[in-house]
Amino acid sequence: MSATVTEASPETGAAPRARRAVIGRHAWQAIGPIVIFIAMLVVVAILTPAFIGGGGLAIIAASSAPILLLALGQSMVLNVGSIDLSNAAIALLGAILLALALGPLAAGAPIVILLVTTLFGAVNGLLVAYFQVPSFALTLGTLGIFQAASLVTSGRTTVYVSNNGQIVSTLYQSGIANVPITFWIAVVFAVLLWILMRYTRIGRGLTAIGKNESAAIFSAVRTRALKVLAFALSGFAAGIAGIVIIAQAGSASPTGLGSDLLLPAIAAALIGGTSISGGVVNPLTVIFGALTVALVPIASSAIGIPTQAQSLVYGVVIIAIVALTMSRNKSSIVK
Amino acid sequence: MTAGASIDTTENEVTAMTDQTPVLRLASISKTFGTNKAVDSVSFEIRPGEVIGLIGENGAGKSTLLKMLSGNYRPDQGVIEVNGKPQQFRGPADALRAGIGVVHQEQSLFTNLTVAENIEVNTPAGRGGVSRLGLYNWRRLNADAARALDLIGSHLNPNTHVSDLSFIDRQMVEIARAIRVSASSHTPPLVILDEPTSILERTETAILEREISKLRDIGSVIFVSHRLDEVLRICDRVLVMSNGRLIADRPSRETNEAELFRLMVGRETHAAVRNRTSVQPGTVPVIAVKNLSRQGEFSDVTFDAFPGRVVAVLGTSGSGRESLVRTIFGAEAPSAGIVTIAGDESHRPSIGHSVKKGIGYLPAERKTEGMFGEMPADENLTLTHPAGAAVGPFELPRRRRAIATEWFERLDIRPRTPERMLGDFSGGNQQKVVLAKWLNSPELSALLLDHPLRGLDPGAAETVNEQVRAICDAGTAVVLIPDTIEEALEIADDIVVMRDGRISGTYDLGHDDPTTLDLLERML
Repeated sequence: MSATVTEASPETGAAPRARRAVIGRHAWQAIGPIVIFIAMLVVVAILTPAFIGGGGLAIIAASSAPILLLALGQSMVLNVGSIDLSNAAIALLGAILLALALGPLAAGAPIVILLVTTLFGAVNGLLVAYFQVPSFALTLGTLGIFQAASLVTSGRTTVYVSNNGQIVSTLYQSGIANVPITFWIAVVFAVLLWILMRYTRIGRGLTAIGKNESAAIFSAVRTRALKVLAFALSGFAAGIAGIVIIAQAGSASPTGLGSDLLLPAIAAALIGGTSISGGVVNPLTVIFGALTVALVPIASSAIGIPTQAQSLVYGVVIIAIVALTMSRNKSSIVK
Repeated sequence: MTAGASIDTTENEVTAMTDQTPVLRLASISKTFGTNKAVDSVSFEIRPGEVIGLIGENGAGKSTLLKMLSGNYRPDQGVIEVNGKPQQFRGPADALRAGIGVVHQEQSLFTNLTVAENIEVNTPAGRGGVSRLGLYNWRRLNADAARALDLIGSHLNPNTHVSDLSFIDRQMVEIARAIRVSASSHTPPLVILDEPTSILERTETAILEREISKLRDIGSVIFVSHRLDEVLRICDRVLVMSNGRLIADRPSRETNEAELFRLMVGRETHAAVRNRTSVQPGTVPVIAVKNLSRQGEFSDVTFDAFPGRVVAVLGTSGSGRESLVRTIFGAEAPSAGIVTIAGDESHRPSIGHSVKKGIGYLPAERKTEGMFGEMPADENLTLTHPAGAAVGPFELPRRRRAIATEWFERLDIRPRTPERMLGDFSGGNQQKVVLAKWLNSPELSALLLDHPLRGLDPGAAETVNEQVRAICDAGTAVVLIPDTIEEALEIADDIVVMRDGRISGTYDLGHDDPTTLDLLERML
């Protein structure tokens, strides 16, 4: 309370609260998904050493490709504070359309499919951004529409590729480091998204929307155009996933490969550190989210868990991993 | 009978004790977060009936200190004594029971409940209480609430819904709630008012001042405010905090505003006498508003904002001035009229268009509309106008950091860590970053400021005002919604007064010289 005390004090400045815990939180967000994946791999390797040697990793990578693609698209939509429940249905519809189109259109077919699925995503985005339909309700509706379209176009049966199947099947049959190209395409897509999110103004704008949409509007961020972009990216990713399904199976059906990818892809996005309330995403860690989700069923059968219990194991493990890795603030409300 | 008698004696004991013992005594209270000593060995006493002013810059440790008194934080060291008894609060409920009630900066009432429900929300249930077995006794609830309101001289109907009350009436409800628990236990209450006046209009402030002097009769008050004139008028003693320490304890009559400012900020105020001129005939306005209306907010508003001049828009809370400025920016839609920005006429301004034309808007609701708390300060700063921190669509993180560092230096934003999340900065420094977001525009033609100084300490407020003057001298037009008439008279070149959505007076301070009273008359 003396004058000398007064002179000395204000220079050092008012430092905000030091937040050591937060640094830990950010670090965990970056490496958590990788650590979890490696830890699970080690557990599996100890229980069944043959799994790693017998090309188990390649199997996981190959089967994770469609999940990864859908998870990447989903993470873009989650990042702007919305959700896309229709992306897996778009992928399946894309796969059916591709199987039908490959014969007549040959190499043009995959491009047409990507355009169509991107358009589907963009329409979702337009309705969310301009007509302010809540994304959960809207994409629940379009999910139904796309499923119906799948049933109609496929005639409720399995659609086989009649001709030119090798155009896409080479993507699955040839590989780098024993892992099919399909997986590497998904990885490249993740890297591109990572660059988009980290080094471009578009990425900054997308994240800004997820963190605080009102502030984004008042900062002249083009929120509506960017929301459409996020959904369009999700549609585009679903299109690639459709191509991957055909490359892998050579056929598509409303109940076949790829018909139950929606929830695993959401789980992969969350395990990959994407915030379900928006504003936090890292496409690179989503890769490990997808690998983890693909690992659980393959590993549980490799370990020898009875088939009846596998779905139980899957559920419990997913809950545990999401609880461990999910991006959340200390005091924020999680819906 | 015997039970009643014993209660009476304890009551007398309490009253007797408070005559000599301080209501509150703090002995070397400290609280550390990580490596930062937020509160560093603070000691003081408050005697019954005293009104204490607590001032300090944003981040000086006031909030942390208050949170220890309200039971939200536990001190690492030191003793808190209330009415002579050492206390260890495990939560806000303990503090309330001891007689400490806090009225928070941001109102924390349940607007969908009645006045009485709000006041009684903290009172214990059970025999003699307002609820038993989870059921309200409405009669007792309303009677108890009325008694608490009566203590502070308010005659609000306890059955009114809080959503129907004006801001100042809500503040009364908060004060009644703060003294409610101690009123029933007959301990003299200590009421902590955390910046209660920062969003009150002038007339409302007068009401609050009267209430505070009433509280003096039944208890003591800690009054936290950034308005030094108010602190000196209301309080008996002023405590000054800086960097977590208590650096001065002055009786109000032995100090003045200039000394308090120097103690808080560590330097003298920069005497700022504004050299005013009239608008030169033929000057083209940056923003010309013509017959602008918005249903239910304002109608037929016409005024110009000229380059290099500050237009202050005065008015009470029903004047529609906030809505007017938001409509000019494009955040709200006009129902009629034209906004011309740099010669470009529009019936329907949009934010994207305004920003392209070089308009910036500093919102009053900083946390929800102005900033991204979970985004680093430098990204906040360059989000709208990257100005050199981006090439085409690509960002240059290193340039971004450099630009932010420059602004941190120029606006004295502390600490100098632009990579830190903006939410971790104190309010004044957050506001400077939001301001810098617009100043970073290479072609800022006009800046709309909606209560730019709200909640800012005097040092930060002065920095913001200096920047506003600097951009004004560089030729930018400024439209300002000030907190007070004094703020308008200090910084404005033109004053527009609004009443009930219409303009009731315009002044060019180059040749007009309105008094505070003139302006007040036009407002009311």
